[in-house]
Amino acid sequence: MSFERHELLLITVNHETVPLEERERYSLDDEQVERLYRVMHETSAIEESLVLNTCNRFELYFKTNDPSSGQSTVFHALSDFYGIPLDELESHAKTRGGQEAIQHLIEVSAGLRSQITGEAEIFGQVKGAYSKCQQLGGAGALINRMVQKGFQAAKLIRHSTPIGQGQINISNVAVDLSLKIFGSLDRVSALVIGTGEISEKTAKALRSRGARNFGVASHSLERARSVAESWGGEPLLLEKLESYLNAYDILISATDVERPLISKPILDRIHLARRNRPLFLIDLGMPRNVDTACDELEDVYLYNLDDLAKIADDNLNERKAAIKTSEEIANQKADAIWRMLEKRGLVNASTL
Amino acid sequence: MSLLGLEDREWIFLATVVFTITTILGSYSTLKLHRKTGRPYTVGLVSFGWILQTIGLYARGLQYGGCPLANRFELVQFLVWSAIALYIFVGPAFRVSLLGMFTSGFASALSIVSLAVQSWDGPSREPIFGNSPWIETHAALALFSYGVFGVLTVTSCMYLLQSRSLKQKKVGGLFPYMPSIFELTQINLRLLVLGFCILSGSLAIGSVYWSRAVESVEFLKIGATVAVWFAYGILLLLRVKESLSYKQYSWACIGIFAIALLSLDAVDRSTKPISAKARIENAWPRL
Repeated sequence: MSFERHELLLITVNHETVPLEERERYSLDDEQVERLYRVMHETSAIEESLVLNTCNRFELYFKTNDPSSGQSTVFHALSDFYGIPLDELESHAKTRGGQEAIQHLIEVSAGLRSQITGEAEIFGQVKGAYSKCQQLGGAGALINRMVQKGFQAAKLIRHSTPIGQGQINISNVAVDLSLKIFGSLDRVSALVIGTGEISEKTAKALRSRGARNFGVASHSLERARSVAESWGGEPLLLEKLESYLNAYDILISATDVERPLISKPILDRIHLARRNRPLFLIDLGMPRNVDTACDELEDVYLYNLDDLAKIADDNLNERKAAIKTSEEIANQKADAIWRMLEKRGLVNASTL
Repeated sequence: MSLLGLEDREWIFLATVVFTITTILGSYSTLKLHRKTGRPYTVGLVSFGWILQTIGLYARGLQYGGCPLANRFELVQFLVWSAIALYIFVGPAFRVSLLGMFTSGFASALSIVSLAVQSWDGPSREPIFGNSPWIETHAALALFSYGVFGVLTVTSCMYLLQSRSLKQKKVGGLFPYMPSIFELTQINLRLLVLGFCILSGSLAIGSVYWSRAVESVEFLKIGATVAVWFAYGILLLLRVKESLSYKQYSWACIGIFAIALLSLDAVDRSTKPISAKARIENAWPRL
């Protein structure tokens, strides 16, 4: 832990500083967050505070009226609050002061510091934390200004760099590709073969983006019925696949088979009836459920597990490549925000 | 002719520069910065180029007292002008990402060629439509339909690019910013219907004039124009009956447009100013 002499300070325990088993000790429920705000209110050296509590991080941003001892006062208060010995807490936590604290907030909000680089959920979590902070009276002029300006900077980073672009999990990659084929998923029908976790996730992801019509096919109608009841959709018998395949635009297949379920001759037979409608085949099975020759047909787009994983990997690499540029933007914005706070007299430059 | 201190060709040159800049900026923004140029910026730039081009064509039109459609340069410029007008005024209804970038690329490519080939801009500064506004309308509508088919060619290229990326599983580059292939197929159909209707209207007007004086129009011109109309008609029929795959349809759109561009040569050859004017005035002495 480093010692910071600043009016604005940040104490953070996150996935970059400590492993999961240690991080768990800092996790707070809503009631504990409220209690922590009360502790901060009662600490005379603290004027404003903001608690960010997610599964991967505990962070406390605060304004102290005593830069020389503010940090140690808060460490003592946190040590009492968590019941964690002070030296242990100090070894887990990192501190940032002044402009660096603002840059950290921007980077966290933009997803640069997330375990999954560029994920968007964190922005909502920071917004939620800020809203709670306002509700519980933690925010004053400094926190309000810093967070609002920080949000603007985070949005700028997400819009002007590829940090949040491209999906990085297989289900969402499949959904993105569906959108690139069909535009909107409202009128698209999807057939799910196999009832494993990945099929379910993909079906759910499609549903969340507007797909309404689902079929669930299984070797046993009973099984199809029970899955269709929980996921929603029409239960179908896999043995009759060819009779209803034409009614679907997307096929998600992830079942154990010895031979491919879908072959080129089957698609050739239904080709005329499809009247050039595109067919998106998502083969998540191992061994593969769809014969690779199907991809030779026009208007048929076949993606297997490796194809989707490669796209997800490429997208993740693109995001990682964007980190440096994003950090530069965060640094420039933090500098501008810090100068603005100084100009408004919300922080005192002489305490540096 | 000079207007506002610049020659007509200079206005058109400036417009071409703006179209080229729009294409370069759009490509740079998408491929390097990984974000689309905002639609207002693209529309603003393209509209600026279109206004410059309109001034150039207007300056030239003042010499004829009508639409400047007297040589190959002017035909190509009017086609480009039509395509850009369609993008500016009808494009928003299509809601197609990157259409502005692609259309300005198409416009700058055709415009650069027409400016570069000096022989296309032959010295024909005489009125070519006699006193007949109907013949002028016929010609302008025909060229406008070619502009629509030009945009159709652009969206067909976009379809082929997008479909190829999906097939080859190369989802970088322009892919994330382009519209879905389904949307492109729908827009292609609408553009084909629109272009075909306008061309049909143009031919209907032209046929009234032609029926009064069959010898007034060269066979080559009639043949080329009707062949293009017929080709797009057949394509529309096949598309409505879903007899062609979307890939075949897109290639056909590109192919027919290339033929249509070549047919401008036939149109150009039959509009030698003096003879055209004389023929028209023979056919329409009252107008």
